[in-house]
Amino acid sequence: MKMKNNMKRLVISLVIAIVVALLPIAVNNDYWTVVFVRVMLNIIVALGLNFITGLIGQMNLGMAGIYALGAYSSALLVQYTGCSPWLGLVGALVMGLIIGLVLGYPSLRLKGVYLSLTTIGFTQIVTLFLNNMTGFTGGSQGVKEIPNYNLFGFPINSYLRSYYLYAIFAVIAFFIAQRIIKSKWGRLFRSLRDNVDAVEMTGVNIASAKIKAFTISAIFGCIAGALYAHFYGYINPSNYTLDMSMNYVLMLLVGGLGSAPGAIVGACVVTILPEPLRGLGDYYLIVFYGIIFIGILLFPNGWIDAFSRGGRFLYQKVTGKKLAAQETADTNKTEGGGRKP
Amino acid sequence: MTTMVIQLLITGIAYGLIYSLVGIEYTLVWNSSGLLNFSHDRLITLGAYIFGGSMILSLNLNYPVAIIVTLAIMGCVGALLAMGVFNRLRSMRSNIFAIIGTVVLSKIIAEFIRLFWGSGNMRVPGWLSGTVRIGNFAITVANIVITVVAIVLVIVLQLFFKFTKSGKAIRCVQQNKKASALMGINVNRSICITTGISTIICAVVGLLVIPLVNISATMAITIGLKGFCAGVIGGFGYIPGAIVGGIFIGIIENLATLVIPAVYKDAVSFIFLIVFLVVKPTGFLGKRA
Repeated sequence: MKMKNNMKRLVISLVIAIVVALLPIAVNNDYWTVVFVRVMLNIIVALGLNFITGLIGQMNLGMAGIYALGAYSSALLVQYTGCSPWLGLVGALVMGLIIGLVLGYPSLRLKGVYLSLTTIGFTQIVTLFLNNMTGFTGGSQGVKEIPNYNLFGFPINSYLRSYYLYAIFAVIAFFIAQRIIKSKWGRLFRSLRDNVDAVEMTGVNIASAKIKAFTISAIFGCIAGALYAHFYGYINPSNYTLDMSMNYVLMLLVGGLGSAPGAIVGACVVTILPEPLRGLGDYYLIVFYGIIFIGILLFPNGWIDAFSRGGRFLYQKVTGKKLAAQETADTNKTEGGGRKP
Repeated sequence: MTTMVIQLLITGIAYGLIYSLVGIEYTLVWNSSGLLNFSHDRLITLGAYIFGGSMILSLNLNYPVAIIVTLAIMGCVGALLAMGVFNRLRSMRSNIFAIIGTVVLSKIIAEFIRLFWGSGNMRVPGWLSGTVRIGNFAITVANIVITVVAIVLVIVLQLFFKFTKSGKAIRCVQQNKKASALMGINVNRSICITTGISTIICAVVGLLVIPLVNISATMAITIGLKGFCAGVIGGFGYIPGAIVGGIFIGIIENLATLVIPAVYKDAVSFIFLIVFLVVKPTGFLGKRA
């Protein structure tokens, strides 16, 4: 059984690797290559956000601000000291650590929805400062001529080369995320979502666990921001809005909360889907959000759950018997779920 | 110097009362349905657009009629939102979906506004404009109206909650949904009424801020955010707390312009939010441990 599982996993990874490697060559279009680079960056952010929003269930609506600070800290470090962009990545990592602690400590020490409030405010304040500290950040003009990465003398200066480099980054991010999710920390995070009181009873410091998860997500966000800055070579504060933060949460919702492969699927769907919908012109955003909104109202447990439920329903209709998985799901529902009065 | 401080104080109180109204409006929804309404800033914008864009600029109604029609429309919008959206969202198992539901709702309202009224800015000429001179101080009519309307509104709300049957029912639902359902209170209807009131307050805020900012898609974002700050600073989920917190933020951020550049004014309330979360998470008047 284990052999078979491993074989299956190997085949799936091989297929994905071949698709990822050949996709930009097959499409051979600069516009789409940029879209695929954005997919890779969004995968990294979504994987990070998954820790705090997916696993723990605390809403983080400030990913745009975190992303912006990551981009600016790397870009400005490189601009002012002239060091290699790889050191800028270290700068972004440190920035993520700082954000995680400074913003996580006040808002996660308490129970409640404070994180969503502070992260929204944080994004506003970050763009306010980036816009107004003209001498340091370039104000609304942004930072120009940020150098590209350079891999041992091999410059990453075309869209295609960046795509492959960032694909490697996304794969590394996926393996790190998967390691953390399957480790002691990941199990702790998940237990916090399911039953905070029970975890607290066993003597675990829940505040520090939450801050840890938020810090990891901030680091992922900052790294993605730094990669973004060195890909485009130009950043300005106007993009980092609540809409951007919201898109990252939508990625998790589409892919299913709490799973790393789900975050990847969600990042692909939410980044790529609007491109064909652009044909709708003015109405495309309202259609896109309308679909998502109706999805939230109708499938409160997520899209993946809705699909698997539909699949199970069909299976039941066809064969006339219940699946083992569904029985456990039913018992869970009667215990914990149900409508609130 | 003293004149300037007093001038800033007057402006601060007017702005603070706006934040208080925002605080009250989302606290009502939070208390009754347990939802943090992230679409409230878009509802404020919607109110301003209905009043300015449709009632005044295209239909040319006179002010009292326009105000009444706007408030009526917004009340209906609120009740419909509660029926169709909030009642569904609050019974979900994961609060992530509830929060993102209201955020996506705000996005849909924003898109609707953009498609219906266009993306340009608007001004309502003559609405609450002008200044009154009292001794050395110049006070804008807008600030006086804001202060008066906010105080009247707060008093009316208190009377409504204390002395009417549906007001009492709303307070029961806020305290304990199960018990009030057992006592024969229609919980869903009570939430509809609360959300309707909350949306009407949103519309009032929208009307009051028209003279301070242009009518535009982003007019209410900072106001909505500071309303959240006001709630946390005064005591989360407690209406007198929202009032105190709002006035506090309004005064502090206006006085802060004496010390820091005026562009960073918007950051002050956020910094106080963080400070209060660290030092006194219950806020000024909060009762919970």
